[in-house]
Amino acid sequence: MRKTVTLLVSGLVAAVLGVLALGGVAAAATTTDVEAAQEAKSAREAAQKAGKPDPFAPEVYGTR
Amino acid sequence: MQGVRNLSVRERWPLHVVAAAVTVLVLAPLAAPGYALLYDMVFVPRQPLSWELVAPAQSLPRAVPMDAVVSLVTQLVPGWLVQRLVLAAAIFLAAVGAGRLVPTERRGVRLLAAVGYAWTPYLAERLLIGQWGLLVAYAALPWIVRAALHVRAGRPGAVPRLVLVAAPAAITPTGGLLAFAVVAVLAWTRQHPRSSALAAGGVVLLNAPWVVAAWVTGAGGSSDPAGVEAFAARGENWAGPLVALAGTGGIWSAQATPGSRSAPLVPLATLALLVLAGIGAGPLRRRLPAGVAARLAGLGGGGLLLAALGVLPGVDAALRWAVVHVPGAGLLRDGQKFLAPYALVLVLCAALGAERLVARMDPELAGVVLAGLLLLPVAVMPDLALGGAGRLRPVSYPADWRLVAGRVAGEEGEVLALPLSAYRAYPWNPGRVVLDPLPRYLDADVLTDDTLRVGDVAVAGENPRVREVRRLLRQGRPVAGTGVRWVVVQHGTAAEVDPAVLAGLDVVHHGPFLTLYRNPTVAPARTASAGAAQWAVAGASGTALLVVAAAAFSALRRRPTAW
Repeated sequence: MRKTVTLLVSGLVAAVLGVLALGGVAAAATTTDVEAAQEAKSAREAAQKAGKPDPFAPEVYGTR
Repeated sequence: MQGVRNLSVRERWPLHVVAAAVTVLVLAPLAAPGYALLYDMVFVPRQPLSWELVAPAQSLPRAVPMDAVVSLVTQLVPGWLVQRLVLAAAIFLAAVGAGRLVPTERRGVRLLAAVGYAWTPYLAERLLIGQWGLLVAYAALPWIVRAALHVRAGRPGAVPRLVLVAAPAAITPTGGLLAFAVVAVLAWTRQHPRSSALAAGGVVLLNAPWVVAAWVTGAGGSSDPAGVEAFAARGENWAGPLVALAGTGGIWSAQATPGSRSAPLVPLATLALLVLAGIGAGPLRRRLPAGVAARLAGLGGGGLLLAALGVLPGVDAALRWAVVHVPGAGLLRDGQKFLAPYALVLVLCAALGAERLVARMDPELAGVVLAGLLLLPVAVMPDLALGGAGRLRPVSYPADWRLVAGRVAGEEGEVLALPLSAYRAYPWNPGRVVLDPLPRYLDADVLTDDTLRVGDVAVAGENPRVREVRRLLRQGRPVAGTGVRWVVVQHGTAAEVDPAVLAGLDVVHHGPFLTLYRNPTVAPARTASAGAAQWAVAGASGTALLVVAAAAFSALRRRPTAW
């Protein structure tokens, strides 16, 4: 049992460490709140100019 | 007959390494700080332990007892960590569970089953629609099958182990039903009737919280029949919905489907998978105890049938009738979620099919072929990697949320979230739609719209209080007359709130993302006083918790044979 638990825990720890390692890149690429808001504003304005629906329309759960 | 046996440590570590690699590959973006908020996936820093989350009085118990579990856990562990642990454990344990379940002596075949089960369209789609509770059930499934086979074989300590692995699945109604179906079909045997009955009884008690909640809720037991068509399986490409289901995909939402599934060659990959599974069906039948393979096939076939109900001609009409007139039949609307047992059976058969395919090959060539097959699921659906190609991206809640939560916590009363919308697209969570997090963020009863919009179709919700508020607002009546103590207007979304609706309210906080209004005509009052119905749900949840504790105690007492 101890070996199984050790393996299981080490597997999960390895997964978390791996996520942390690989995610460094993702973290660097993540926008800040201000950047995200600016990005959204730009996207909304671009859609408005192009006569397309608002990309952040709130109420649609999904489309088929 | 090889059966399902315990693996040695030497056999386990490659399986664990591969499972960890798949987990890392899928969830890498979650290394960034914050919360991944996508469709139904809502985590908040600390979810309050409120009656409305433990035992919703006015809505259907779709997240019972999941919300209660999250509320309890986040009292000790921050929500961002809970989200990562749950998702990582679901993918890792799904892979390990399938790898351990497949009856084979070849390491490559185990790894193939592991990767195959953790890289299915089903897992991708349910992850991208944020239904993490269902992913937990999906991960638990191979473990439940394994434990059920041990009960069937009369192994000592098998019943408590079965209850323990079924418990995570039962945090949602669908997962609980899947767990019960597996136990009822696989664990039942005349040789060990007491163990079989104990196992079935234990899993029934695990399902008790949501069953009791559904029984006592004021939302009624029926659903809007428009949901049958809206949530029916969807074709991913030219091959239509039935082929999509055969490949374990076919979720109703185009946004939750990986882009790669629309490729014209995907149906051919599905066909190859089915052929491989057909080749492996014989070895599976021979290697499992007599009759087990047929029962597994029945489970998988049943799941596939439930998933297809909404698209089968004639049956869809019967389903529309059922969701209105049969209490609880609304569970069948989004039938694709019942594909999980089919996915497991398909992967087990396909892995054994691959083994049979390479059996007569030169060992070196066989290794290469197995390695190629191992990478095939990833090659066919590469956009599950890195959080569904960037769809899972953590963000932080704006400071407004913390401030509003603090103000509301000081004066209790009902909160109305405006504009009326079940889902939100926030500018601070760009490109994503998420279920309104306000009911889980605020320590108060929050009224949010429960109408689901699927394309142009509006699927009505069940909450009578929300229905009443919506009617008053449509009549142009100000919010002040609805009896709510607080109103939170969420900015940055496309919909606007008519200023006339807010007449007579006092602004308490005005921020860039949220404005909080107080209704001076309603005194602060504790709205969530628990009635007998809610105590009944709490009692059922407590009973389920006791069953899990007793199973854990029993399993630990038998340490030499436990796990």
